[in-house]
Amino acid sequence: MTTLEIPHVGRFDVQVWESGSGEPLLYLHGYERHPGGAGFLRRLAEDRRVLAPEQPGYGRSTGVESFTDVLDVALFYRELVESWGVDGIDVVGHSLGGMFAAELAVVAPHLVRKLVLVNAFGLWLEEQPAPDPFGAADEVKAAKWHGEAPKSEPTNFEPDPDDPHAAILFAAQNLGSATKFMWPIADRGLRRRLPLIDAPTLVVHGTSDGLLPLAYAEEFVRLIPDARLAPIERAGHYPMVEREDEFVTAVTDFLKG
Amino acid sequence: MKFHWFAEATYPELPATYPQRHPSAGVDVPASLVDSQRAGEMYRMFIRLMQQADRLGWDGLAVNEHHQTTFAMTPSPNLLAASLASSTENAALLVIGNSLALYNPPLRVAEEMAYLDCLSGGRLIAGFVFGTPMDTAFAYGVPPSELRERFHEARELITRAWTEPEPFSFNGRYNQLRYVNVLPRPVQARPPIWVPGTGSVETWDLVLDEDYCYGYLSFFGLANARPIVRGFWDRVEQRGLEPNPNRMAFTQLVCVADTDAEAERLYGDAVRYFFTRQRAPLHFANPPGYTSRASQREVLERAKGVSTEDRLRATRGELSFWEYDELGFIVAGTPERVRQRLRELAVELRVGQLITCMHMGDLAEDVAAMNNELFGTGVAPYLRDLWASYDDPWTPPASRQQVAAAAPRVPAHSVHAHSTAIPSPLGGDT
Repeated sequence: MTTLEIPHVGRFDVQVWESGSGEPLLYLHGYERHPGGAGFLRRLAEDRRVLAPEQPGYGRSTGVESFTDVLDVALFYRELVESWGVDGIDVVGHSLGGMFAAELAVVAPHLVRKLVLVNAFGLWLEEQPAPDPFGAADEVKAAKWHGEAPKSEPTNFEPDPDDPHAAILFAAQNLGSATKFMWPIADRGLRRRLPLIDAPTLVVHGTSDGLLPLAYAEEFVRLIPDARLAPIERAGHYPMVEREDEFVTAVTDFLKG
Repeated sequence: MKFHWFAEATYPELPATYPQRHPSAGVDVPASLVDSQRAGEMYRMFIRLMQQADRLGWDGLAVNEHHQTTFAMTPSPNLLAASLASSTENAALLVIGNSLALYNPPLRVAEEMAYLDCLSGGRLIAGFVFGTPMDTAFAYGVPPSELRERFHEARELITRAWTEPEPFSFNGRYNQLRYVNVLPRPVQARPPIWVPGTGSVETWDLVLDEDYCYGYLSFFGLANARPIVRGFWDRVEQRGLEPNPNRMAFTQLVCVADTDAEAERLYGDAVRYFFTRQRAPLHFANPPGYTSRASQREVLERAKGVSTEDRLRATRGELSFWEYDELGFIVAGTPERVRQRLRELAVELRVGQLITCMHMGDLAEDVAAMNNELFGTGVAPYLRDLWASYDDPWTPPASRQQVAAAAPRVPAHSVHAHSTAIPSPLGGDT
């Protein structure tokens, strides 16, 4: 557990999953949950130091009530990265974590070296309204995956034999925290700031994502000055799970290049 | 005990196939189902029924706020209350309530409620509500995770706007105002405030800290309320406060008729209509972040007074009229039976403020008017003595005094005896 006291913002106790050594990489997880030590994270950690904090308000990470808006989140991650004593870091942000990663690249251009956005929220396209990511559970589940949903989705949830309600409360708390930035529409003004991003950016997108049509990824590419698209076919909202090899290759090639 | 007249303004001409075709009574209901002329007729009917209730001695006339739903078509209760403020004499105007987080800035609430208090001569009860998930998160797009914080900030701002003598500045997270100076102020410096809840300890502590009246506003009767209301009174006791029944309000559907068989004949269809047209799919009813983790755990762990199966049967219309009655979802029958059932309920729950739902579903106006008449003359007068020894700072002094002077009394020839046995349904017909 990492504790951060940010003056005039608040106190945060944050769970950080960490593995590997070498060049640092910050991974920001998606709107549903932290993926725990998922296969793709372990593989990314084979030749670099991966730091994957759990977003405040998710699981055991605290402090979400101190966030007034998404700028506070960006400042929080800036402090967190600086607390690790690194002078630059590559950032991979998935889903809601993509929105935060892009905001971080805007407010901390000196810290963010390369940026990878994966099926990122943060934009709204009037001509292609994205469906409600908090909609009926069976509809959301069907929308998220290209193929059959996996038996278990990557998670850092640890069942508690003494608490039969732990899983329900875990999921509700995580999604509840996401509503701060995604309800009713996952647009907190990022469009106006994307043109300020200096970092070379790769926009990875599972093309069958029923929550975010490909046009959203194309819009990120259009708005970020130095960005290119890496579509991943036969993958939905979680390309790192449905197409782990392609995902890891695309990300590592971009970060090494 | 005090009585507050209430009805959900349920649209009356939804097709018989409605419950099957439209899984939700809110948010995305097809607008084509609602005829605006018919809605207008419905509003005029409710105003007439509440004017009648005022003449019959109800202590309060309750109006509520819901959005984008055919179950309760009252998006602004303040508008309905304004119609009543100028056309009724005695009863309190129980605005229960305004969904504070939806008004930006919430000074709108402070102003409109002050207007109502002035227009009615100090008869306002100010209800502050969180609002249902469908009202707040869906119809008005408030992030569920911000709802409570917005509510509390608004509550503080409104209360200060009513009571601070000088203009003041307010620098909140959601509201910034340089000059707060509401005009006019309410007749009652701070009107009585009621806050409904669904059983969370946080809301119990709020109402006890602030001396608000707590409302457990469910349509599922005594058995369902029992564990929650017990929890509330335990909390009152733990905190060393007076267990004054007047700090608790409770809703009950009531169907009075000359005989029990007549009650079933007159109200049966409307009761079924009411319960089968209020469904909401889970993702509308329980969006993430709407309920705190602690409250959610309480809900999961609390013993259920009414089984989920019985609730589902009620909303699928699978209960008979007397099963609805037996489960306590309605209290039906002759005036004698109804007053005994209500006395039992009020004593067990320690309820001093009974919100009586006298119209339900697509009930015809003449039946609702008869319900009012029978209740106002044959039920309420027999129950007014209950809790009479307790103070009631949760109703306006003006309505207390005026209703006490004007309400119908128990007829002098009536024998004032309460048998302990409750007549069984249909028992009084022969």
